[in-house]
Amino acid sequence: MRHQTVTLLWRAGIAAALVCAIGVLPWLTHTDPALTVLKARSAERDPTPEVLADIRAQLGLDRGPFHLLGDWLGGLWHGDAGRSWISGNEVAPAVLQAVGVSLMLMAVALAVAALTAALICARTLWLGAHRRLDGRRAGGSGSAVLAALPEFLTASVLATVVGVQLGWLPALGWYGPQWTILPALALGLPAGAVLGRLLDDLLPGAFAEPWALAATARGLPGRTVACQALRRCLPGLLPNTGLFVVGLTGGSVTVEQIFDIPGLGRTTLQAALAQDLPVLQAGTLALVLLAAVAAGVAHVLTRLLIGPALRDGELSSLHRPAPPARTILPFVHAGLLLTVIVCGLPRDPLALDTAERLAAPSPSHPFGTDALGRDVLARVAHGALDTLLLALAITAATLLTGLALGLLPRLSGPLVDTVTALPPVLVALLVTAVVGSGTATPALAVAAVAWAPLAAHTSALLQQERAALHLTATRALGAGPWYLLRHELLPAVVPPVTRHALLRLPGIALALASLAFLGLGAQPPSPEWGLLLAENQPYAERAPWAVLAPAAVLALLGALAVTAAGGVRGARRRRGGSETAARSMPEEQSPVRQLVKQ
Amino acid sequence: MPRRLRPLLALALAPVLAGCFASGGGTDSADSADGGSRLRVALAFPPAENLSPYGADATILSRLGVTEGLTALDANGAAAPALAASWRQENDRTWFFTLREATFQDGSTVTPAAVATALTHAAQAKPAPAGLAGVTFTAKADGSTGVRITTKTPDPVLPLRLSSPSLAVLSGKAYGTKDKVDPVGTATGPFELTKVLGATAVTLDRYDDYWGGRAQAPGIDVKFVADGTARASALRTDQVDLAEAIPVAQAATLDKDTVEATATTRTTSLLLNTRKGAFKDAALRAAAREAVDTSALAKGVYEGYADPGAGIYGPAVTWAAGKRTEPAGRAKAGKPEGTRITIATYDNRPELPEVAQVLKQQLEKAGFEVTLEVREYSRLESDALDGRFDAFVGARNSLVDTGDPVGVLASDYTCDGGYNLALLCDKDVDRAVAKAADTAERQDAAMAAEAEILGTDAVVPLVHQRVITGVGGSVRGALLDPYERTLVGIGTRR
Repeated sequence: MRHQTVTLLWRAGIAAALVCAIGVLPWLTHTDPALTVLKARSAERDPTPEVLADIRAQLGLDRGPFHLLGDWLGGLWHGDAGRSWISGNEVAPAVLQAVGVSLMLMAVALAVAALTAALICARTLWLGAHRRLDGRRAGGSGSAVLAALPEFLTASVLATVVGVQLGWLPALGWYGPQWTILPALALGLPAGAVLGRLLDDLLPGAFAEPWALAATARGLPGRTVACQALRRCLPGLLPNTGLFVVGLTGGSVTVEQIFDIPGLGRTTLQAALAQDLPVLQAGTLALVLLAAVAAGVAHVLTRLLIGPALRDGELSSLHRPAPPARTILPFVHAGLLLTVIVCGLPRDPLALDTAERLAAPSPSHPFGTDALGRDVLARVAHGALDTLLLALAITAATLLTGLALGLLPRLSGPLVDTVTALPPVLVALLVTAVVGSGTATPALAVAAVAWAPLAAHTSALLQQERAALHLTATRALGAGPWYLLRHELLPAVVPPVTRHALLRLPGIALALASLAFLGLGAQPPSPEWGLLLAENQPYAERAPWAVLAPAAVLALLGALAVTAAGGVRGARRRRGGSETAARSMPEEQSPVRQLVKQ
Repeated sequence: MPRRLRPLLALALAPVLAGCFASGGGTDSADSADGGSRLRVALAFPPAENLSPYGADATILSRLGVTEGLTALDANGAAAPALAASWRQENDRTWFFTLREATFQDGSTVTPAAVATALTHAAQAKPAPAGLAGVTFTAKADGSTGVRITTKTPDPVLPLRLSSPSLAVLSGKAYGTKDKVDPVGTATGPFELTKVLGATAVTLDRYDDYWGGRAQAPGIDVKFVADGTARASALRTDQVDLAEAIPVAQAATLDKDTVEATATTRTTSLLLNTRKGAFKDAALRAAAREAVDTSALAKGVYEGYADPGAGIYGPAVTWAAGKRTEPAGRAKAGKPEGTRITIATYDNRPELPEVAQVLKQQLEKAGFEVTLEVREYSRLESDALDGRFDAFVGARNSLVDTGDPVGVLASDYTCDGGYNLALLCDKDVDRAVAKAADTAERQDAAMAAEAEILGTDAVVPLVHQRVITGVGGSVRGALLDPYERTLVGIGTRR
């Protein structure tokens, strides 16, 4: 009980610190809110000193951030979240409306994700129920590709093909249930693919546990055994599902824009850019509350599903009955990637020729050309080195941070939810406020968010690991906490979290590009991969190759990371018996979920 | 849960779920008995300030035919009668406007007193409406049809100024509550606002007693769709009849006969920093001007939906081409020899980063070393005004808010200008602009000042943009004007 009170206080402290940080943000970054508000109201208005002075007087900016913050907090106490600096409307109703829209979208997307995950796991469940899992070949490359697709690409394709060309479903607006389907598919399909793949990885371990064998021997129907196996595996996925819910409520800006949905993502993005502080503060508070609720629900569900076993340390380690056969798949992926890069390097990525714009693939331009007539193959190849090196460096840093903080779940748990819930643009602005806009700022801004899922993963693994029988045995033999950490816990946790971090590598590359419009990160005409995707997005329908080529290499990178990580698993497997290194626990929501969100 | 509770639960949940959707505002079935169908319009910029006429939202009201001012702009950019039937200048500070017989949408008559009240409210608004920046005036009723307007300093373009959408005339009811102006049912135009659904949609009905005659369309359902691709999709799926500001990238996906390109007064230019850095040297500015190939931009980036840059004023300013004089006193182009420069631009208009990248190549061919800096506009402007970049690529409406050609020259190219991105401070230019501002023969004087400015090479006009409006096949009579102030009028129907 005391623990819970402390956690609650910590959570409230984080929320309060955030609101205060937002309140002083413009003064920290030296960006005049009068100017940004003026531009949000009327983009073409000249910022003459008189106009700016009038706006300052209207908003009371001269009284300084602390007065404004105090007034806002005082109003909040009475349920009044202030008035928007841009429109002068009351903030609370507008934000509540946006939260409603976002939650609705989220709920339908979650249903789609559940359905997708169910379809992916159906085969494993059926085989497991009939105890024929042993000879199955490793599958799931289809779902891995689906999971690695950038969100905006799925959304554009769905909107254009299903919505416009076939006309089956409305692709624009938010007026009733049929309007929810396409955006929910765009959000839910990749997420469902990831969750499904993770579940599919866990299930064989559950089917191999002694109880399953006993239940089958006892003559229980296969269906019952499958249900219990599902129950055994779900708790490992719950934290990820929670993060998925939270992250997409405030971060699905791309999908909201493509389908014209008045959700919270767009509201907070606009408020962050215009420095409309009351709206930004209220939106952030709503998201932080939602994160707390989601974390609470995930916690309660875990307790309901496997609570007693966790408490009593009666879990057996989930491990595969047989290591997946080593395949040549990683070599195939790496070979393809290398071929593309080697073929493209001799070409010029910057030479533009507007007469050749949007040319279809041909012998002279194997991947076609982009909107300025540049060779897409050359750009993909030249962008590879920058993209990969920076993304690798950030991945390494986040892995270390994530592991370290994940070992302290009480400290990091609320922090993880909060960071995931925040719109990425806001995080970037806060980071800029603290460290200034240097060359390392974009990397820091991305890293500030990217450690969170790794920490959550680490915590989830630790929780189960601590409840494992073999740990009780080791403890009984007199092992101290440091020994346990070094020789039992870390070896069990590090490999899966490393694999998870690798899986997120493409997502980090995309997140970097999404900050470019704040003046952070790669600038055109750099052929950085995220930038390639962003600059060709408007032409996705007319020149699909210009988007598909960078998307395909990113997917290839994701597939390489996943399959190569399988190799790591094989090499690392050194301890026998009911060993832990072979785990494939929650790999977390998609790497690509981090994408753009712009 | 007991089974029989479920229907009850569903009933209880239904309003909650309904609250999670946006109200459509569409009344598709409400076509009137006399056969006309309601127009469905997708606008690009959602209202930012509750449709207050004193900010950018004024354009929305004017484009939808809700509000009118005393005057309007005609095709040649001159003041034309609107609520004022005629006017005359009494002395250099006083103008007398004679009103026509008209009624407000709330039924009251447009009296001189009501007009004076409306104009006085606009003059006192804070911040001041864009068309009134730096102008002080008083408006007084005179007789049963006259309004006398006295300005503090001589203002030769007052009739032009009064055409600004932010000087719309609303009935007294609109100004009921303090510092909030409500245009719902209080304007004078052919269409009347009936429902405003936040920043997502508005509904308008025809105002039957409009002085100019009854509009053909019984009403308009407007949706605000910020994403350009989404607006194009809405038109392609027949969800709207009119979609404004289709991005160039999407124009090719629409049917040829639904794409209407209108030349606008918007000019995209390359502004060179004359105070600091490489372009302080006039010879290098001349070298940059000579390196730029504007037709490659118009064709390659704008796909032909733009005209190559001719001057500060483009072909939409119809009188400009005939009066243009060759810029004199241009410096001779120097040799860049690897001079490093930074070009800044913004991505709010998707074509600008592409323009900047093409420019980069053209300038590098001439010997410059170019770095680009692309940001969101509000994160860029103050740095640009401080002169942190060597060059700036931006789009600018050359007739700004008043339709007065001199306004843009004064704010953008004089020492005291508030939006002087080229940081130009040149005595000859200042003198030429001041001369233009004081005369009624503004067009000739403005062109002389333009030649003076182009002579400094502080600005290289790149292209004159055409705005693309998606007009559904069955729509007739859409008002596509170069000033982007009208869209739907009494003759618009489908």
